[in-house]
Amino acid sequence: MSTYRIYTGLYMILRMLVRRRIALILIAVIPIVFLSIVELTTSEKVLPFRLASLKEEVFVNIVERGISLIFIAVASAGFLVSFLALNLIQKNSEVNRRLVICGYHPIELLISILLSLFLMISFIAIYVGFLTYAFFPINHLFEFIIGLMLIGFVYGCYGLAVGSVIKGELEGILLIVLLVNIDAGWLQNPLFYAGAQNQAIIKLLPAYFPSQTAIIAAFTDYSTTKASLFSLIYGSAFLLFSIIIFFFKMRIKK
Amino acid sequence: MIIKAENIAKSFSKKVVLRDVSFEMKRGSMCGIVGENGSGKSTLLRIIVGEWKADRGKVAIDGKLGYCPQKTLLFSQLTVDEHFRYFSAAYGIEKDKLLSSCEELMNHFNFKKFRNEKIANLSGGTQQKLNLSIAMILQPDLLILDEPYNGFDWDTYLMFWDYTDKLREKGCAILIVTHLLSEKDRFDRIYKIENGYLR
Repeated sequence: MSTYRIYTGLYMILRMLVRRRIALILIAVIPIVFLSIVELTTSEKVLPFRLASLKEEVFVNIVERGISLIFIAVASAGFLVSFLALNLIQKNSEVNRRLVICGYHPIELLISILLSLFLMISFIAIYVGFLTYAFFPINHLFEFIIGLMLIGFVYGCYGLAVGSVIKGELEGILLIVLLVNIDAGWLQNPLFYAGAQNQAIIKLLPAYFPSQTAIIAAFTDYSTTKASLFSLIYGSAFLLFSIIIFFFKMRIKK
Repeated sequence: MIIKAENIAKSFSKKVVLRDVSFEMKRGSMCGIVGENGSGKSTLLRIIVGEWKADRGKVAIDGKLGYCPQKTLLFSQLTVDEHFRYFSAAYGIEKDKLLSSCEELMNHFNFKKFRNEKIANLSGGTQQKLNLSIAMILQPDLLILDEPYNGFDWDTYLMFWDYTDKLREKGCAILIVTHLLSEKDRFDRIYKIENGYLR
């Protein structure tokens, strides 16, 4: 394994990303637009809600606007990372295979891709984290950003998994939008969750643990360790699946 | 021998594409493989370069391999220079060798002026020049080209044959696969794929 090849791969992937100006503009604009819409449309009504991932019956009183801002920040970070991850693995898969034929080891390419994904997740989480903080005072900003990184990890790995299996860009985007919409964009909303039936189903969805991490960090002093750990396990399952498919596609038979 | 392929067979489901294909090439030689669309030419090349596995048979290559696929496989958001750098990392070429090799190829095929242009902004012909050049920066012992002059204008077409002469003088063997073969007198041997057999 060559560190020079990994570095070159990472450098080229980041260059390709930076040159896609529309993607960069969307990354910058989508969270601002989403948060602004929430700011303009939600009320100051104080609502009690139960934190789902904590064992004890913990109820928090928080204004509707605050919880909605946190929820939409998590959803937009998840969507953005998932879309970028899909692009990362799907767009150049044939050229990547040519690189493998020419001498790149699939592991070197994969490490370059995963490092790029990690940088994207970090950038988006920090950006959305500070942006949300500008709209609403968050209790523990650092832990909240970790929560955003975790939704980025889980949905980024979901994007990799979709991009590994689905060839068509449109089909891939549809699969991402559908899940993000129903999961991070609706069911994980604490205001909906509190009165939902079959909450066990909602707990099985990818955004559950990262959302809980972000919400606990934003409004309470409780530990986010358990929710963070389960987020990592959930994301790792998607990651493992996408790695297996990636190696299957990049294999060279001599 | 630079390459020796023995008894290659390949089927996709029930469709037999290659049956018992054998051939060999000496250093500095040039062979052509012709056949109709869908006759199995590209399948044979993909097996030779290791992209696909044959159901039966084996391929032995003694030296560095350069491969130019039929489709221009390039990164649309990277420049010409960046492609050379990326693929040279794959080949493991040192920086000074890469520079001289790239300069020579860009000068010969007359696309040096586009070295800092993104692929998305280049014409199909210039993209194909780069597609072909990537296969040659390694200075290979065996060069395998799948429909290499698709999209070339007449001058570039002549430049291509001129460059193959230079490579052969250095001992590089060249295998060209095409559905339409001209310049037949340049080849040491021309094979035809028909019904899965190489004749």
